[in-house]
Amino acid sequence: MTRLCVNGETHDVRCEDRDSLALVLRDALGLTATRIGCQHGSCGACNVLLEDVPVRGCLVPAALAEGQAVTTLEGLRDDAVMIRLRAAFTAHHALQCGYCTAGMLIAARDLILRGRAGSAAEVRAGLAGQLCRCTGYDGIVAAVLAAQ
Amino acid sequence: MVAMDAKGWIGASVPRREDARHLLGQGVFAGDVTAPGMLELAFWRSPVAHGRIGAVTRPAGVYVAGEIGPVTLLPAGPDMPGFRQAPYPPLAEEVVRFVGQPVLAALAATRGAAEDLCARCEVEIAPLPAFADVPAALAPGAAVLHPGWADNRYGSGHVKAGDVAGLDAPIRIRRQLGLGRQSAAPMEPRALIAVPDRRTGELVLHISSQGPHVLRHALAAMLGLPESRLRVVAPDVGGGFGAKNRLMPEEVVACALALKLDRPIRWVEDRREHLMAGAQAREHLYDLTLHATRDGIALGIEGELWVDAGAYALWPTGAFAEAGMAARNLGGPYGIAHLDVRHHTVATTKPPMGPYRGVGRTGACFAIERLMDALADEVGVSRYDIRRRNLIAQLPHTTAAGMTLDTGDYPAALEACAGMLDLPALEARRAAGEKVGVGFAIYTEQSGHGTTEWAGRKARVVPGHETATLRMHPDGSLTLLTAIHNHGQGLETTLAQIVAEELGLHPDAIAVRHGDTGLSPFGFGTFASRSLVFAGGAAKAAAEMLGAKLRRIAAHFLQADVTLVDLREGRAWAGAASIPLVDLAHAATMRQERLPPGEPPGLEATADYCPPEDAGVFSYGVHAAVVRVDAETGAVALEDYCVAEDCGTMINPMVVDGQVKGGVVQGIGTALTEELRFDAEAQPLSTTFAEYRLPDAPSLPEIRVLHLVTPARSTVHGAKGVGEGGAIAPPAAIASAVEQALGLGMVVTQTPVTPRRVLAVLP
Repeated sequence: MTRLCVNGETHDVRCEDRDSLALVLRDALGLTATRIGCQHGSCGACNVLLEDVPVRGCLVPAALAEGQAVTTLEGLRDDAVMIRLRAAFTAHHALQCGYCTAGMLIAARDLILRGRAGSAAEVRAGLAGQLCRCTGYDGIVAAVLAAQ
Repeated sequence: MVAMDAKGWIGASVPRREDARHLLGQGVFAGDVTAPGMLELAFWRSPVAHGRIGAVTRPAGVYVAGEIGPVTLLPAGPDMPGFRQAPYPPLAEEVVRFVGQPVLAALAATRGAAEDLCARCEVEIAPLPAFADVPAALAPGAAVLHPGWADNRYGSGHVKAGDVAGLDAPIRIRRQLGLGRQSAAPMEPRALIAVPDRRTGELVLHISSQGPHVLRHALAAMLGLPESRLRVVAPDVGGGFGAKNRLMPEEVVACALALKLDRPIRWVEDRREHLMAGAQAREHLYDLTLHATRDGIALGIEGELWVDAGAYALWPTGAFAEAGMAARNLGGPYGIAHLDVRHHTVATTKPPMGPYRGVGRTGACFAIERLMDALADEVGVSRYDIRRRNLIAQLPHTTAAGMTLDTGDYPAALEACAGMLDLPALEARRAAGEKVGVGFAIYTEQSGHGTTEWAGRKARVVPGHETATLRMHPDGSLTLLTAIHNHGQGLETTLAQIVAEELGLHPDAIAVRHGDTGLSPFGFGTFASRSLVFAGGAAKAAAEMLGAKLRRIAAHFLQADVTLVDLREGRAWAGAASIPLVDLAHAATMRQERLPPGEPPGLEATADYCPPEDAGVFSYGVHAAVVRVDAETGAVALEDYCVAEDCGTMINPMVVDGQVKGGVVQGIGTALTEELRFDAEAQPLSTTFAEYRLPDAPSLPEIRVLHLVTPARSTVHGAKGVGEGGAIAPPAAIASAVEQALGLGMVVTQTPVTPRRVLAVLP
């Protein structure tokens, strides 16, 4: 059994050493906001927070998250920055199919909290490694600037 | 006729209703669906490109072809005798024909355990010759991939109009051009779960698909099920772009095993599988000669083109539309009257080709625009002016290939796009030695094409209509049921806008449901820039029928002439008197005695829609790319990207912008970074996002979009399709810009324009 603390709740889950955190969140805990897009850390759809730092859920073995606070998009429903980001994402058409959105929101929130969303160029640089196949990124950049 | 904007929902950037669930992480994609007792499926895939299968050693839980249950293979490709058949077996039987082809199916409680079973399998495969590209496949003496074939062509065709040979044109420019192989690469790979429903006797397939009804038809035929016992549900779909609109072997295997074992079976594609064995796209070769006058008027094109369609034809139409469309679109937006182009669809030991945003036309646009650039250089006019001289000035215009370009103003779009740039400033930077350049490219995008067009292409499935059902419930709320699919296009919002406009309601009053054969009337799904035109037409027609009935009932209640009844703000009005629609709905459903005499109960309308101009309506646009090239490294940086486009009336301009920008960025990927590479033995070299590079935010400028609006003559509200156009022109525009930046003539002939290829063309 692995003991995970996710969104403030403690869960004992059965998982294998090779199981990624993203897989366990989805399959064992039903937290499907965390999407899996590439399984090799290139796309960012599976971003979650580990002790408030964004990590790729597909690259972190679930067992290594034991004893650390894991936060998924589901746990950020009432987060003040996330509330602003959600409104801005809709206003600026920053999502289409919605698959990259959870990971994008977690990356965007982190940029804002670290004060790295001061200009379009800074936001673009900060979103390196976050892939979106639908929007062309303009709406996302505008939304992050509007939400900070 | 074009209905003018009466109540305000047409042309409004209504925020998308789809957003809320995704922003909360509450969207439901196929890979999120589970079922009790579910087994997970993994495939043992061929490690060689071509070989004969020998002895197989495998643990329990692993199935070979023939053990998954009865499966009937379907003919695929155009419905014409000359197109050779290459049926794609769900699991390879005697021969494997590309690296990644499914050979064995493993079932276990988890995906990891199923992969462990695969790791314990041993399959002897005696190698056969691989051919990794068109020249190798067509080389004299090449092995033949499929039994009974005379050579490695699925088929060939000939587009001929006028008399190129008889032109005796003074300028002839011959070029070889190529477009790289691509993956549509939606962020959600494919995913499915097949669940036997013991109550109904149905097999319920939840699958990431662009067209559930058409998929159901094929699967039912293959599995020997009546369509009434197969329900296909496409829930939220994380992007498609064409890659989720063909029948693929994995879903056949999963459904067959679910039936055989009477258990839910789930398969979730990983990215490596998607890049190795998902539908691939684009790879074209051209050898063309442009015939022109000395003052740069293009007269004719002759030559050949080849499409590398891979090892099998995907049901329904294979890749044949690709080559034929490329040939027919070679004239582009120019008045070229003479065409003599032979096209070939070629089999190689690579994954099968499917459709991808821009089908055929991204290659055709690259080819004609590259030739126009070469013509400009040859006759000594600017690349901008050569376009101005050759653009079709007056629409409608029927092209040499028989397509009717319907409405718009191509020269005005060119001028508008140039007007978005500061060209003198760019020239000054060039004069100062900066390696910057601009390139223009122009595209047309056929959309909303119906029966005549698809039947003419010998399609096995002719998507010439769509049906919508609009149902008003007893409390006055509404549900629109449609068989197109929405996977990012915002159709849940825009179709509600169309119905709201018709019935004088707020769009929020109309629920839109799609993606479920158990709910919606039959229809074809979302592809070919068709959904707004077709499903919008059907939704509007259904709303008109429902509206007419509401007016008749209201006239009875209000004691007014039906011609004076108007629907707005959720009420029916006759002069100053009005009644809420909910009262009419209640009467029509719960209290029929209140209906006018002879009026049947119920408030439900089903309408079918075929566009009146079923050869299609053409959106178009002009793209301008500004690049800076590093001559030391060959790196190309995009500084600016402008689009002046016309897709007719915009139902929701915000959504249109999103479609244009997203398409452009995919086209930028085609132009600069995305390429599925193979070695000479057809081993894939691009199986992760590290090798297959999608455009990302830091590498892109803002995409600037200007809309010119010329309503279509016949479609609902004058709208045209807009899904694909953005992805057509970028390779042509960027290639041209790179050459100007480097002060070179027409030397960029292959996409993507990687640093290595830039360095190769430097003198």
